[in-house]
Order: sequence, then C-alpha cells, then structure tokens
Amino acid sequence: MEIELVEIRDFLAQRPPFDALPEEALNQLPKTLDIRYLRRESAFPPADTDDSFIYLVRSGAIELRGKNGKLIEKLGEGDIYPVPCQLVDLEQGHNGTAVEDTLLYLLPCNKLGELRKTSATFDQHFSESMRERLKRAVGGTRATSSNNAAHMSVEVHELLKKPAVFINVNCSIQQAAQRMTENNVSSVMIRDGDKLAGIITDRDLRKRCIAEGLSSDQPARLIMSTSLESIPHNALMIHALLLMTRLHVHHLPVLKDGKIFGMLTASDLARQQNTNSAFIATDIRKSNTIEDLARACKRLPDLQLHLSNASASALHIGESVSCITDSVTRRLIEMAEVKLGAPPVPYVWVAGGSQARREQTSHSDQDNALIISNKLKPEHDTYFAALANFVTDGLNACGYVYCPGKAMASNPKWRQPLRVWCEYFNGWIDKPDPMALMLSSIFFDLGPVYGDDNLFEALQGSILAKTKNNGIFIAYMASNALQHRPPLGFFRTFVLIHDGKHDDTFDIKHRGIVPITDIARVLALAEGLPATNTTDRLRAAMQTPSLSEEMGENLEDALEFIAILRMNHQAEQIRNGVPPDNYLPPNSLSELERTHLKDAFKVIQSMQETLESRYQLGRFG
Amino acid sequence: MLERFLNKESQRKRALAKTGPGVMRDFLSAPHVEKNTRCSEAEIVSLDLETTGLDPAKHSILSYGLVQIDNMTIRLDSTRHEVISVVENIPEASAVIHQITDDRSAAGSPLEEVLPDLLRMLAGKVMLVHYASIEQNFIDAACRRLYGAPFVIPTIDTLILAQRRFERRNHTIQIGDLRLFNLRPRYNLPMYKAHNALSDAVATAELFLAMAAETAPRPENCTIGQFLWH
Repeated sequence: MEIELVEIRDFLAQRPPFDALPEEALNQLPKTLDIRYLRRESAFPPADTDDSFIYLVRSGAIELRGKNGKLIEKLGEGDIYPVPCQLVDLEQGHNGTAVEDTLLYLLPCNKLGELRKTSATFDQHFSESMRERLKRAVGGTRATSSNNAAHMSVEVHELLKKPAVFINVNCSIQQAAQRMTENNVSSVMIRDGDKLAGIITDRDLRKRCIAEGLSSDQPARLIMSTSLESIPHNALMIHALLLMTRLHVHHLPVLKDGKIFGMLTASDLARQQNTNSAFIATDIRKSNTIEDLARACKRLPDLQLHLSNASASALHIGESVSCITDSVTRRLIEMAEVKLGAPPVPYVWVAGGSQARREQTSHSDQDNALIISNKLKPEHDTYFAALANFVTDGLNACGYVYCPGKAMASNPKWRQPLRVWCEYFNGWIDKPDPMALMLSSIFFDLGPVYGDDNLFEALQGSILAKTKNNGIFIAYMASNALQHRPPLGFFRTFVLIHDGKHDDTFDIKHRGIVPITDIARVLALAEGLPATNTTDRLRAAMQTPSLSEEMGENLEDALEFIAILRMNHQAEQIRNGVPPDNYLPPNSLSELERTHLKDAFKVIQSMQETLESRYQLGRFG
Repeated sequence: MLERFLNKESQRKRALAKTGPGVMRDFLSAPHVEKNTRCSEAEIVSLDLETTGLDPAKHSILSYGLVQIDNMTIRLDSTRHEVISVVENIPEASAVIHQITDDRSAAGSPLEEVLPDLLRMLAGKVMLVHYASIEQNFIDAACRRLYGAPFVIPTIDTLILAQRRFERRNHTIQIGDLRLFNLRPRYNLPMYKAHNALSDAVATAELFLAMAAETAPRPENCTIGQFLWH
C-alpha cells in the first residue's frame, strides 16, 4: 500500500521526537495534520485558532519574545512549539511573530495524546520536565558512545586474582614476610579485628625494616603504612586506576562493607588495561629527563581519546587528565630538587584554573604559583626562581604551554610567601578590581600539587573566611560570572545569541562550560566551600541555602552533557589528527543534541537570572 | 458558445434546468458561493488531475487528488487520492512524471465509478486548481459524456493569480515562471519532490494560502470574489 503524503511523512520521520514513532503511526500522522501559512509579521500562534495544537515549523521562522520584548527563542524549519498542549514547563507570556513567510503544521492535542501512547520515547519528549530530559540526555550520551566501554566499567572485585592475604595486628615482621612468600604476593594487609589497620609491602620490608636494622621479631605494625586509602569492592576500575595514579601506589586495599576484601595491585590493572593510560602514569614516574616526560605526554591526547571512547564521564576524563598533569608537575619538581638541592624553606606548588578544578583536557595551558613559608628570606628567591623556571619550562616542553597572562610561578608576582598571598587575596576581596576579576578564574580555583599542604590550607582558610557572606565581593564575582552567557539556542545552521544575533560556530567552552564553572565558583566563595571541582562545588552548595537541590542537579546534568559533547568533539578531532579545540559547527549537532543543549542553556540562564536578582546586579551593569 | 459570456451561477442554473435526476442534477443543484463570502467561511477544494495527455477528446484522467481548505486551513484529514483505470496505454513520458504505470492504473476503478464521488465532494464548493483549464476541461468532457451535462463550478486558479501578480508589478513573465513548483519558492514554501495528484493538490493549496496572505494581511477577512477566475 502506497503511503499518502509521503513528503510530509518523510519530513516528520527525520526529526525527533517523531522519528521515535512506530512506522504505522508515522505513516498515518500526516493525515491528522492541518497546514497554515503565516505571512511575515503575522502574529503567532494565529489568533483565530483555539489553543489546542502543537505547531511544527515546516518552512520559515518564528520569533518568540517575552512580555518585556526580550527574544526568548527563534523557531526554524523542524522546530516545535508545544506550549499549547503542554501541562509542564509552561512558559507564560510569549509573543510570537512570524519573521519570515512561514508554513506551519498543526497537530491537535488529542491526536498528540494518542501518539504518546504508541512510543515511550515520543511520550517522554512531551511528558518529561526539562530536568528529566537532561538527566536522560546525560545517560544517553554515554550509552550511545560506548564502543569498548566494557573494560572501563569492570568493577574492582572482578579484577582481583587472589584472595585477600592478611595477618593479625600483633604478628611479627617475620610472620608478615613469611605470609607474603607463601602466597607469592608483594603486600600483606594487617587486620585488627574486622578492620584494616595497615599494609606492608616489599618496599616497607626493605626500607623500614632491613635498612633501619629493625629486628624481624618486632611487631609488623611498626613498619606498616597506616594512612590508607582504600576502594569499595564495587567501584569502577577507572576509579581505582585514577586513585592509584594520584596516590602513586601500586597496592590498594579493597573493602566490602568496610571489611577487608582483597588487595588490588597495579599488575591487576595492567592486565585488564589494554591501552596506555596506566602506562602514561608509569612512564611519567620513570622519566628522568624533560625529554622523557615530553615523550610520555605526547600520549595524553590518546588517553583522552581512549577514555572518551570508553564512555567515561566528562567528570572522570577531566579528573584523569588533571591527574596526569599533577604527576608531570610533581616529577618536574622532583627533578628540580635533585638539581637544586633541598628547598631552604617549605613551600607548596599550587595549580590554578582547570587543573585545580580537575577539569583539564589534553591541550590546556599551565596556570600555577608558589606559596612559600613566611620564613622566606630575600636571598632564597634565587632557589625558588630557578625551581619555578625549571618546572614551567618543563611543563611548556611537555605541551602545557605558558599561560598567556603569565599566571605562573616563574612570574615573581606569583612566587610569594603565604603572608603576601593573604594580602593579595585580601586586596582582591576588599576592592574587587578588574584585574582581580580577570584572575579570579585562575586564583580562586587553587589546588596543592606538591609540597607542604599546610601552606595551601592556611591560604584557602583565610580566603574562604573572608569571602563567605561578603555581599559586595560576591556581587562583583557574580556580575563577572554573568559575562559569559549561554546562547538562546540554535536557529538553522547558526547559534542564536541573546540579542538575536547569530554566531557561525558554537564556542562550547565559553558559552557552555565557563558559565557553569563561574556560577559554581560564586556559590563556593559565598558559602565558604573548599571544593574546587565544579561538580563538587555544586553538590556542596546544594547543602546550603545558596542552591536548591533541583537547580543543583540540573546544573550538574547540564555541565556533564555539555562537557561530554565537548569531549566527543575533541575526540573526533584527535582521531582525525586535528588539534582539538572548543568550536562546534552547529550543523554537526544532531536535532536531539540541539534539543538537549537548549534545555541545558535554559538551566544556565535561569541560574544566572537567580544570581542577577539575588545580588541585584542591575547596579553593576 | 454563449455560455462563455454568462457568469458561473447563470451557467449552473441553465444547466440544472436541462438536467434530469441523478448525480449531475445533485451537483448542479448546490448553489454557488457568493462572491462577497469571506475567505474564512468559504469551502475550498484544491484539486489536481493526472492525465494521459492534454486533449480531453483523446486523453483520459489517470488519477485525482484533492484536499479541503476550511477557514484558510488545509485539512489533511480530508485528502482523497484515487487512481482511475484507463483502457489506453499510458505514454511513458507522462508515467515518468506521475509514476502511474499501466499496472497501477489497471488496479484503479473506472472513471464512471469514481466521478460521482468526486462531484459530491465538489458540490457547492470552490474548486482550487493550478492551471484550471486541464481540470475544468477533462471533468467537463467526462460529465458531458457520462451525464450529458456541463461541469460548472466557481474556480480559483493559482496560475491566473500569479499571472495577475506579475502583470501588476510589470514583471515580464519568463517561460516556466508560472509553474507551480517555480512559484512556491517565492512564498518561502518548501520544495516537494514527489509528483502525484495528491501532493500537487496540497502544494497548490499551500500556494493559495500564501497568495491570499500576500493579498490581505488577515487572509480570513478577504472575500472569495477577489480570487475567483471568471
């Protein structure tokens, strides 16, 4: 049987949500439509129809404006105006106008109701709130891009080849060594009742027992490591890999319900890992020259590509790439210390910006600084200058190019004792000037990489104590956070900007990720939260009055969706041997991605509006 | 010949007086729409025929497609598309366009079965056609042959409307300018690839809505007389 009105059917069949309809429903669909034509400048929806249709733009363009005349949305070919049939997400106060001669398909609400019964996906499109749609989009992005996700989603307990090897807390060092030998393992866990008290590795036997001349009759607990990180038995392999890389350990106790379950070793991971991410970490540790390090870092884009292929979340990819940067930095500092000798006074090397936020991608610039003990004397700067230059040059050689704004430890301004750092921040917070705001995305996101963490914590404590509830400063920061606005959406092959202008490409970093990062920073500073990662900041802020749970979850999903799109875009570029960037051509986005992005943009806009009214930002214009 | 100088309503009454009971009498009994009827209240049927050629004396109707316009809205639930069985062989040149082969035609119904339905759907309505003389002449010839009466119906011809528009603007008309699918882009109407009687009827209906919207900012307030072809 021939399908009538095949042109209309084919038009519908290409677009979500209609593409989700079963064949038969799709074939019948054209017959249920009405067609109307609006001359440009006519009102939309047409005044003489009752409000019982959804409208689909077949050709032409419709602008929707709020009561204040501000452009809200622009509908082009294939876009749907569902408002008259929708019970949720009802947006009041639209004034629509056809801005081109426009042909519209009208689908009556009762027919829509019947169609919703034929397909769950189709139904969800109309029934879900924006929040649910975003949540599903995040899940969907991961599910659809999973080529070889299997090995990354292996749970830790599946990797354990041997049962847990442990001894009781009052056993001797010799008994520990015997147990290890019997089981042919390189580590043993020390058990105190059900609980894990510590672990002993081959290395501990060597360094803490034999080298120290300690008797092997002594209790094993004297040489065990007690400040232990562990991992739950059902954690994903990628978590274990990241944790071990970050901690530089080859052994990680695995717990089930808080009890000893087994020991995960680097070789368990290596056996499973058929790619190079674990090897990059190892190669970095083994590097003795900047050339070695630079060679290891060349594989960083591959790591990003691999993780992206493996459908890791953007959160995890950011964490892994940042982890590697930390390792490279630490290795460089170790090399510098070998060359220059021990530091004259304690210091901490801190990273700023995306590295501190754990949101790096494989082509980030470097942002760093040195916080030095207040005992610093002027003559010590020769040492720290040499250290900073060695490390920043090394990072540059490894592909982390110099910060264009010179926010680096090699710049004397950012190589200062704790006291001066506190003064800097006090100045920025008390008198927020444009310079301070410019630096805010770097220095208000700080994380320790190497050295004396206490110095970092002292500074962070002092900053947060000052920013918390500091209305004027937070208002300045909020105003700054609103500099980067998401687009309204997409119109044909363009990105639709606020004032109705068009962009040819979508700068996914500055129009998608940065707005959320900026919002999270404002919330963290306002509430005195120490977190630096954007997702962590949002989660922490949700426990405070500054951020509702719903808005927090929406922002988190919006960020994850946008960040995954960015990762996929960059993965594609890496695959094609093109240097990765942040510019997405709108026509490379699927209809569904556009729809989800629009939802994400709405979430960001709505939070920006909240900040705007909370801090009465009209005044800062 | 005199009929050409009478208006459609007079033609209808004249023909009605000569026609005995049956399909044709029913058709001719329905009064024509008043010229000052508002467009929004007129019932318009957009019609397209596929034929084996251009001469109603020699060629046959292969199919018709139609769609109704009410309140200046195209109602796709009113569409009809019928293929008609013909005795003659379908020339390849035309089969390429309308995709109706001898086999498909043979599966259709004979004209005498299809025509009464078509006439019932057109009775009392305004017929909308692009280049109306084909539809007018073929249906008229069929009516005269089968029922001995003329086919009289108020008609809107989008080709004539386009021609008037060009002339009003002193545009010289190029060959092909007045074809349905060359006119549509001028009104920002989408390209259609398929050519059958139904999709052409819908395409014509859309073109008419666009032309009406161009003529009157609120097309539902225009009168049908502004568009009728006399």
